[in-house]
Amino acid sequence: MNVATQATVRKTGWPARLALRFVRRGGRTVLADRRHYGPLRVQRPFYPESPAICHVYVLHPPAGMVSGDDLEMDVRVGGEAWGLITTPGAGKFYRHGGGPPASQDQRLSIAAGGTLEWLPQENILYDGAHACMATRVEVEEGARFMGWDITCLGRPACDEALRRCRVRQRFELWRDGVPLWVERSRYDDHCPVLDARWGLRGQGVAGTLVCTNHRPEVVDEIRRRVEVAAPALFSATQMDEVLVCRYLGGQAQEARACLGGAWRLLRRLVFGREAVPPRIWLT
Amino acid sequence: MPDDRDPQAVVRLLQLTSPALPVGAYAYSGGLEHAVAAGWVQNQAQAREWITGVAGHSLCALDLPVLCRMYRAWRRGRVSQVQWWNHFLAASRESAELLAEDRQLGGAMARLLADLGIAEARGDGALEAPCWAAMFSLAAWRWGIGETDMLRGYLWSWCENQVAAAIKLVPLGQTDGQRILSGCAGRIPAWVDHSLLLDDDAIGQAAPALAMGSACHEQQYSRLFRS
Repeated sequence: MNVATQATVRKTGWPARLALRFVRRGGRTVLADRRHYGPLRVQRPFYPESPAICHVYVLHPPAGMVSGDDLEMDVRVGGEAWGLITTPGAGKFYRHGGGPPASQDQRLSIAAGGTLEWLPQENILYDGAHACMATRVEVEEGARFMGWDITCLGRPACDEALRRCRVRQRFELWRDGVPLWVERSRYDDHCPVLDARWGLRGQGVAGTLVCTNHRPEVVDEIRRRVEVAAPALFSATQMDEVLVCRYLGGQAQEARACLGGAWRLLRRLVFGREAVPPRIWLT
Repeated sequence: MPDDRDPQAVVRLLQLTSPALPVGAYAYSGGLEHAVAAGWVQNQAQAREWITGVAGHSLCALDLPVLCRMYRAWRRGRVSQVQWWNHFLAASRESAELLAEDRQLGGAMARLLADLGIAEARGDGALEAPCWAAMFSLAAWRWGIGETDMLRGYLWSWCENQVAAAIKLVPLGQTDGQRILSGCAGRIPAWVDHSLLLDDDAIGQAAPALAMGSACHEQQYSRLFRS
């Protein structure tokens, strides 16, 4: 079924919900609860590095979002549990076909002593997309989070830039009702931020990696070790208890490699464990 | 046009927005120094585009609506609301450098206002790590400056400081600087009106290259401006 047909068939949108709960049992992190509704689910968890670290792949078999589609995820990580979540492929937000925007709402809560790595593959915004994308992370004191949000504005590989759109994108960390870190992007038809020197500079891929971190000196190591080739840009900075790395460039693969490099370093320096990339990234 | 403003309030607005206010704003370039070093801003047209772009995109969607909410909270005596918006503003800063700038200006202003007899600025029950907007709104409220004038004044000060930085960095002539400022002046009323329309939920922004440039400035080898 092509995209246009999907849009007409699914006039009211296709809701999907997924709730996951990671808990620590003995030396093992288990997926104690997984409930799903609609086309959003998880495969059997993997333990490629240790029983303490539970790798989960979240699947959205339609692979693309049209107007009115509504994806909701609720992930909870208990004390001492360690979960790693990724996706097998890019998320896609197709051209708007009328009606409400496509919506992706992700809530991630981490209890004290718990760890969550949130490493989904990129979201691709097709020209004409209307989308609301929100990732809100709630961290208790002593919880650890590292995660990224990688967005392709248009399809650089097809030479399709994002020109017409209505996109609201949020990536936020909160504790007890107080914001620790907030990034809110808005893209509208031909808005200046897409091309401006201070904005996206006409680049097609933007990514942000956020990591809870109490050792500000780590940022120097990240700056020394992570590089990208011009015209792509990479930056790292540390604000209070949050370390933020950013990529801006033309290729999703380069964004994954660049932020993936930062993730590997941060995992060792901040989380105290060598990174074991999910196998699905290699396929 | 009838001039019905409180004459004291007008004079106080000039005091609040004067570059002579001893808070040290002149020491910061707000990411512009890296933008010049990286070749993103090389002439008057590009400096104008940078300054008006960041003002219209970032300040109007973040600083101004937060400033306005802080002012209303001071007026109602709700210090906890000012503190919440202060957290929100700090959490929205794009880099360590921009956050440090905001807090250093806020801290310097808190000391100054306390010395001038504004009790809320310091001491018991005062804000924790106040941002610039928190102290700017406190001064505006205590000095009888109206909400809209305060917003215009905040934006004007920011533009003036950026133009002063551009004159040193690009570099530009003084007249070129005044041309950019005249352009800003023409747009400030509309920018302020736009910022007043935003709901709480619509507050916030992202300017990726500005964020990255200011983060890179933190480690720039040779700098005129503080990090």
